[in-house]
Amino acid sequence: MHSRKIIPVILLLAVIALFPVMTRSEYILNIMITFFLYVILSESWNLIGGFAGQISLGHSAFFGIGALVTRLVWLSGIPVIPALFAGGIGAAALACSVGIPCLRMTQAYFPIGTLALAMIAQITIGNIFPLPGSLSSEYVAAYNLSSRYYLAFAVGIFTVLTVYLFARSKKGLALVAIRDDEGAAAAVGVKPFQHKILALLVSSFMAGLGGGIFAYQHVSYFYSAPFELSWAFLPTLTTFIGGLGTISGPIIGSVAFLALSELFVLNLGEIHLLVFGATFVLIVMFLPKGLFSLSVGIRSFLRDWALRLIGRGEAKKL
Amino acid sequence: MLVVDGLDVHYGDLQVLWGISLEVRDGEIVALIGSNGAGKSTLIRAIAGLIRPTKGTIRLDHLLLNRRPPHEIVKAGISMVPEGRRLFPKMSVLQNLRMGAFMKKARHEIEQTLGWVYDIFPVLKERSDQPAGLLSGGEQQMLAIGRALMANNRVLLLDEMSLGLSPLLVQNLFKIIAQINETGISVLIVEQNVPMTLRLADRAYIIETGHIVGEGAAESLLNSPRVREAYLGIGPECEDSLGGV
Amino acid sequence: MGQTLVYGILNGSLYGIIALGIALVFGIMKYLNLAQGTLIILGAYIGLYLSQLGLDPFLSIPVVMVALFLFAAVLFKTCFSRLINFDEEEKIKNSLLISFGLMLFLDNLITVIWTSDERSITPAYSGITFELFGLRIPLIGLAGALLAVILILLLHLFLTRTYFGQSVVAVSQDQEAASLMGVNVSLTFLTSFAISVSIASIPSMLIALQSFSPTVGLHWFNKGIVVVILSGIGNIYGVLPAGLFLGIIEALSVYIFGPSYREVTGLAVFVLILILVPKGLFRRRGAA
Ligand SMILES: Nc1ncnc2c1ncn2[C@@H]1O[C@H](COP(=O)(O)OP(=O)(O)OP(=O)(O)O)[C@@H](O)[C@H]1O
Ligand SMILES: [Mg+2]
Repeated sequence: MHSRKIIPVILLLAVIALFPVMTRSEYILNIMITFFLYVILSESWNLIGGFAGQISLGHSAFFGIGALVTRLVWLSGIPVIPALFAGGIGAAALACSVGIPCLRMTQAYFPIGTLALAMIAQITIGNIFPLPGSLSSEYVAAYNLSSRYYLAFAVGIFTVLTVYLFARSKKGLALVAIRDDEGAAAAVGVKPFQHKILALLVSSFMAGLGGGIFAYQHVSYFYSAPFELSWAFLPTLTTFIGGLGTISGPIIGSVAFLALSELFVLNLGEIHLLVFGATFVLIVMFLPKGLFSLSVGIRSFLRDWALRLIGRGEAKKL
Repeated sequence: MLVVDGLDVHYGDLQVLWGISLEVRDGEIVALIGSNGAGKSTLIRAIAGLIRPTKGTIRLDHLLLNRRPPHEIVKAGISMVPEGRRLFPKMSVLQNLRMGAFMKKARHEIEQTLGWVYDIFPVLKERSDQPAGLLSGGEQQMLAIGRALMANNRVLLLDEMSLGLSPLLVQNLFKIIAQINETGISVLIVEQNVPMTLRLADRAYIIETGHIVGEGAAESLLNSPRVREAYLGIGPECEDSLGGV
Repeated sequence: MGQTLVYGILNGSLYGIIALGIALVFGIMKYLNLAQGTLIILGAYIGLYLSQLGLDPFLSIPVVMVALFLFAAVLFKTCFSRLINFDEEEKIKNSLLISFGLMLFLDNLITVIWTSDERSITPAYSGITFELFGLRIPLIGLAGALLAVILILLLHLFLTRTYFGQSVVAVSQDQEAASLMGVNVSLTFLTSFAISVSIASIPSMLIALQSFSPTVGLHWFNKGIVVVILSGIGNIYGVLPAGLFLGIIEALSVYIFGPSYREVTGLAVFVLILILVPKGLFRRRGAA
């Protein structure tokens, strides 16, 4: 990252860090935690979907298993940070079960396999835990929203940094090479399958951390709630809309998704999904680099246009 | 007849053909010669409509063909035997041949044409119920040619039909092409075996890195020092390959 | 036990026809249409509308068929036609993504139009069963199974006996070579897509006679895709046996573990098969 860019980013992070000091509004803090969750999940999805080019339709399974394991471990008396870690490991283990057979096959298998996994997980967990899980009174007494806020914030930064560093590492570059031309990459000795598995492990680990945050944030929820397929659709939508295979894309997409769903929540249930579904189709068809590329495109178009105007002006002067 | 004029072709931003002009007259066999990657297949594919040229025209008589999809070009009268045969592997030999006569006008004459193709390639008749994917390489190539003939078209484009076949079989195929040409079908042929091809052809064009760098009567090219040096090699060990048909 | 098998077979034939639409699109075009389930549900709502006008559900199948055919043709023109000349992997990926977006869009559009209430069509004969060898066989389920068999036979005749059908088979084996034979590939794609979607009218009606709501499309898609992969991707003749296999497995699991694990058993068998025999169980050499 250029040092020119680093200063505004640090300033922005500092402002976000001060939120719990500046406001007591639980609504705002919860919205921000949701935003962090979206970013974690989307960046995690971006690693396998954007950088590795493997579309996962089952990130809800990884998110959900992270939530489940974290919750159970944490409620058994272990501190939350090791519990989160356990959740991440659980998600990565689950990802192997379907990832290893599917990633050996053609494009069609991975999305379908992960989708099936997500459905199995949702139904099974719903069957095993039919009732909502609530915190016991001592946990409720200790509940403190700003600690949730900071943990989510920290995991969010961790996730973004991980994806950023991974994408720039040798392995990340190899991954992009495989995505763009698997045959050519394999010909120069890059092992496609191993790299994809690595991307899947890191991605699902981070999705599991996100699930852990969810489990830590909520006082009471149905255990199957974080397994709902909407958690799988969300990162697919946000990443494509913001910009696939970029660091800022999933963040931009998350902001857009959150803003739109909050806007429509007062009207009709799921209108934001209608809008996002349509936008998504248009983006896949016309702007494979996401909405963000449109703003870049417009900027460069305006610049060209301005230059041409200036050029013409100068030509006239001569 | 078939006239290509000033053709440019790009793959994305990469230009591979530059202002190609050539002509195939009625009843001629024209050869297209060039080293690997020169753009021979690209040119043939552009004529068949599989790639859209960025500039230039392709005409068959007065019909403008560039910018038309492949199925309309077949209807206009040009058939192609693609590089790598491209059969329908799970269809039987007969079904492949029938697909060759998919166009309405060919469908009406299908029985006569089929008899003609079976006369040229009797082995296809013996194998008519076998899946094309299980034929030997030589049989597959015969099927590919036979399938293209089923359209009953005036122009045949042949891209590297002899690739991977035994010398004896190749000689046979060359004789068959000459025989097909005698029925009045014009042929544009791309081949690796330059001496044999030049002996078969009436005229030839030489293409290098996307440019036509020479043309002429096949016989005179065969004897031109430049062609001998570039495509036939000089020196005694290469004289063998001139043994030819 | 025998009764369980009857239900398994009847459900399985429903899974088989759902899979047929997905397998056709995939086999011919290498498109993966995630919205197939949603289109089935759209058909169910059209059927519901027609039944409110007084049309019998089985008689409304042809109407729904035509409606879905036209809708699919428009959908193909607007959303999918630009993928025709992509290579196989790009086709799979892009069609999957586009149809994913369409699924979300249509699911929520249907919710806006018809609300998220659960619906069903209940004609006078909906509960009728008859006895055969001491087993109760529901009339509607049996009609569905018969329709599935008839449909596959018709499709087989179309693909093998007509010139257009043969061109569809040719396109599925080598799209570019087919175009060199004079086959209009875009038209073949458009028609194949529209036919595959219009086949959904039969599951539409069978599901409408059970129960449906706007967002259950993905559930039915999933049944279909599991069958498609069981039968070996792109193999259309395997879908009926594979559908029956899934239906029977599910029925057995209901018999053994109880109803709450029915879905899971089916999906778990699917994941196992992905791991053990990823090329499918019902693959046949030489099949289209
Ligand atoms: N699909 C493609 N995308 C990008 N470049 C291509 C593509 N196909 C061919 N090329 C390039 O275009 C040039 C011409 O290729 P073409 O296949 O026409 O050559 P050729 O003369 O037929 O060679 P050969 O004798 O090996 O068959 C080559 O440099 C090749 O790398
Ligand atoms: Mg070539």
